[in-house]
Amino acid sequence: MSAPSPLPRRFGRGAFGRGALGLVIGAYTLYTLGPFLWLATMSVRTTGEISADHYAWPRPFHWEQFRIAWVDSDFATYFWNSAAVVVTAVAAVTLVGAGAAHALARYRFPGNRVIYAILFSSIIFPPQITLISLYQILVDYGLYNSLIGLTLVYVSLQLPLTIYLLEGFFARIPQDLFDAAKMDGYGDIEIFRRIVLPIGMPAIATTVILNFIQLWNEFLFAVVLITDPDKRTLPIGIRSFMGDHFQDVGMIAAGVMISVVPVILAYVFFSEKLIRGMTAGAVK
Amino acid sequence: MAVVRLDKICKRYGNAAGPVAVDNVDVTINDGEFMVLLGPSGCGKSTTLRMIAGLETISSGTLSIDGRVVNDVPAKDRDIAMVFQSYALYPHMSVAENLSFGLKRRRTDPAEIERRVRETAALLGLDGLLARKPHALSGGQRQRVALGRAMVREPMVFLFDEPLSNLDAALRVNTRNELIKQHHRLGSTMIYVTHDQVEAMTMGTRICVMNGGRVVQVGAPLEVYWEPADTFVARFLGSPPMNLFTVRAPAEAGALEAGAIRAPLPRWRPDRLGALAGREVVLGLRAEDLHLDPAAAGPEGGRIRGRVFAVEPLGAETLLAVEVPGGHECTARLPRHIRARVGETVDLHFPASAAYLFDAGSGLAIPADRPDAARAGALP
Amino acid sequence: MTPEARVSQEGRPAGLAAAGPGTAAAPRARAPGHLADPRRTSGLVLAVFIAPALLIYAGLTAYPAFRTIFDSFYTIEGLERVPVGLANYRALLADETFWIAVRNTFVWAFVAPLLDVATGLLLALALYAGVPFGRFLRVAWFAPVLLSYVVVAILWMWLYNYDWGVVNVALRGLGLGALTRSWLGDPSTALAALIVTHAWKWAGFNMVVCLAAIHSLPSEVLEASELDNCGWGAKLRHIIVPMLRPTLLNLYVLAFIGKMKVFDLVWIMTGGGPLWATETVSTYVYKRAFNWNTFDLGYPSAIATVWFGVVCAAVILLNRVFRARERLEY
Repeated sequence: MSAPSPLPRRFGRGAFGRGALGLVIGAYTLYTLGPFLWLATMSVRTTGEISADHYAWPRPFHWEQFRIAWVDSDFATYFWNSAAVVVTAVAAVTLVGAGAAHALARYRFPGNRVIYAILFSSIIFPPQITLISLYQILVDYGLYNSLIGLTLVYVSLQLPLTIYLLEGFFARIPQDLFDAAKMDGYGDIEIFRRIVLPIGMPAIATTVILNFIQLWNEFLFAVVLITDPDKRTLPIGIRSFMGDHFQDVGMIAAGVMISVVPVILAYVFFSEKLIRGMTAGAVK
Repeated sequence: MAVVRLDKICKRYGNAAGPVAVDNVDVTINDGEFMVLLGPSGCGKSTTLRMIAGLETISSGTLSIDGRVVNDVPAKDRDIAMVFQSYALYPHMSVAENLSFGLKRRRTDPAEIERRVRETAALLGLDGLLARKPHALSGGQRQRVALGRAMVREPMVFLFDEPLSNLDAALRVNTRNELIKQHHRLGSTMIYVTHDQVEAMTMGTRICVMNGGRVVQVGAPLEVYWEPADTFVARFLGSPPMNLFTVRAPAEAGALEAGAIRAPLPRWRPDRLGALAGREVVLGLRAEDLHLDPAAAGPEGGRIRGRVFAVEPLGAETLLAVEVPGGHECTARLPRHIRARVGETVDLHFPASAAYLFDAGSGLAIPADRPDAARAGALP
Repeated sequence: MTPEARVSQEGRPAGLAAAGPGTAAAPRARAPGHLADPRRTSGLVLAVFIAPALLIYAGLTAYPAFRTIFDSFYTIEGLERVPVGLANYRALLADETFWIAVRNTFVWAFVAPLLDVATGLLLALALYAGVPFGRFLRVAWFAPVLLSYVVVAILWMWLYNYDWGVVNVALRGLGLGALTRSWLGDPSTALAALIVTHAWKWAGFNMVVCLAAIHSLPSEVLEASELDNCGWGAKLRHIIVPMLRPTLLNLYVLAFIGKMKVFDLVWIMTGGGPLWATETVSTYVYKRAFNWNTFDLGYPSAIATVWFGVVCAAVILLNRVFRARERLEY
């Protein structure tokens, strides 16, 4: 029997093929999720317990590991630094990027495509081309080793992707809608606020989540531009903690879990949006 | 060469209680016949075709090709070829590769493949295009490649799923004639799905009209046109559609009088009309049977009186839309030179033999007892 | 003067105005009927929308990039700048570590994408074939994409741990104790170990893109192939994979770009060692700029400049090669 799907939903021949496929798929799933689950078990065990057996089930669950990491090992500081920088940067890059994307998608003016190409092309730049100079520039302007400086840099890092994703979406909003709004007497700014932003909300949400995750995970610029332990974001915080206490596996695991929780939450609630955002533009 | 038999074929989605897309379809397509499945979108005609192709499972009923039940035979083993609405050419293959792909997959002898591809290409005027990829072809050329890909296989049955709907009007007429020609040449069984009544009338040896997942009527094109089984067929075939008037049946046998409408019904025996007396019936009149000139309707003709509310000159003819008291509207298809003004009251005359009667409840035709002499000659 | 030109001159550093709309616009009076064409608007409105983005781009991307290129002709120690002409570039040619880093990065950038894309395609096909729990598997397989390099690096350092890492524990358990080694500490395996880690993170991304591409293939073409006597394998080989070609090439280019920039994972897991076995251009630039006590920012700027050129050229070249083939239309 063939199913109504374009492809008969069967793979391999008979039970053997099916079994082999199931085995491969099971193994791959273990390969992707296994390490993470291992990490999760270690985060609720003390380092002493872990040294005794790295693969034992946590018994008892040492939830206090998280409190120790949060309070005594400064992960709270790192967490709030990350949160402040990332939230501000994402808000700014969304606003700035949405405005530019709207103008580039909607209005005809000389140089439109040139501006778009220039903004977009920086997506392929290797980060080193700006890294060294940004370091010098931030030093010059007193923004080195400051969360504000890092936030500004983060906005510039995510701007090309934001404009690229939003421009693609905004360009598909039918022009008729804008013509109707103009005939109803809306001005350019009102059109942006009352039409583009509400209609573009799904795409904007996708970009917001995507930018959030990418910046939450950012390492290179943070490690160059931040030196003060009080100003560390989570990635460099964890990295330096590991440098100082590389034997303390349990505590590192707890710290890593703290840094991963927001990402997991975002993924649990927005997995479809995230996957779509990350794949946008790659399907040709 | 094949006979395709559909025996109580049903298609349900989901479980047994799911929505029914195709409901108890019972049709036999004879060897060498060009059968058109005609109906509005969503009537189940494409689903029926795809079940014949093996692209959809059959929920219940039996499908047989030349007496062999093929319900569970995979599409590739049914020896059928299909021309898709989007043509479905392989975009990464040249025209020659598109034509030969199916044969290669069937391990046909390379010399034979070569011969058949050449022959088909020559027949369809694709000789110069064999090296091209589909994206370098025009719509009409793609259509011919799709047809060629089916022909080259020399299958028992050809299936067509609205293959002309992506072509512009002029090309459509050409391709229609091309298909008729190829059907005559090949003499194969062909099943053709369309919602276009002109395609159905011009191409089909028989038409199978479908509505709501059911077969409403099967017959030769003119038979379906002249003897519609119900009001749906009556309106679906014909442009503009047949005018229908719901009226009370005559108390007095032999003619129907309802306000502005007077229709003698000489084709029905008086006793049968008498049996209908007092009940609601639907009177049907085709637009081309209505005339302004009483002489055109003959001495015993009927009449409708109404107020013109639109005049639509089409060039070759003029359509007159008339409002008839009693909440009816009707359209007459008149010669191009007629003069009528909006707001004017006119009498539309029709030959008594042009009237149809349908049951008001079921919509089914109430067949006449005497055939219409004028039409009888047109039927095979 | 048009409003566009005025705004662009006020709103942006003079040297960067060339990219703006103002200079490209022919001088024309602000037409009173500019509302007549809803796709046009005044320069002022455009400036409000675009100027912030251009400012950020100019100040934090374009200017630093130009400054890096400019700096590559100097020796910069603290506030002291000494012009040295092409000396940095000459030194670069003779710098063995740099060439090792280039070789490693190229190995990574050209070979690893094959692994990523092939894994992604296979996973996507498994999901497309309708394995049970497809929705869950898709989400699970995609998850590593979202983890930060820091997290991935720590996880895999533990997985590769000589004493208690999963890899060696498993090998010992299978009686293959002879094969155990310090995966990241052995120059002959370190780079491969990193490439596997990187593929672990990115396979899910390729899978999701392939799956979306497969689902967007025209169903009638796939059906046509069924009538042309194609089973599952033949359909895959003759129809699906050839039609996915543009997507696969695109994924290859994306992976290639990512790998030319690779830094975080290497820096955390091996720091470029052992014996430069995993040194990439990115880590080498970082080391020379911020890690070694050479205190010269000119030389790493030269490396960054060269690498910037190489990446851009490679991307343009790959696009040329791949796009030159006809694009598929359906």
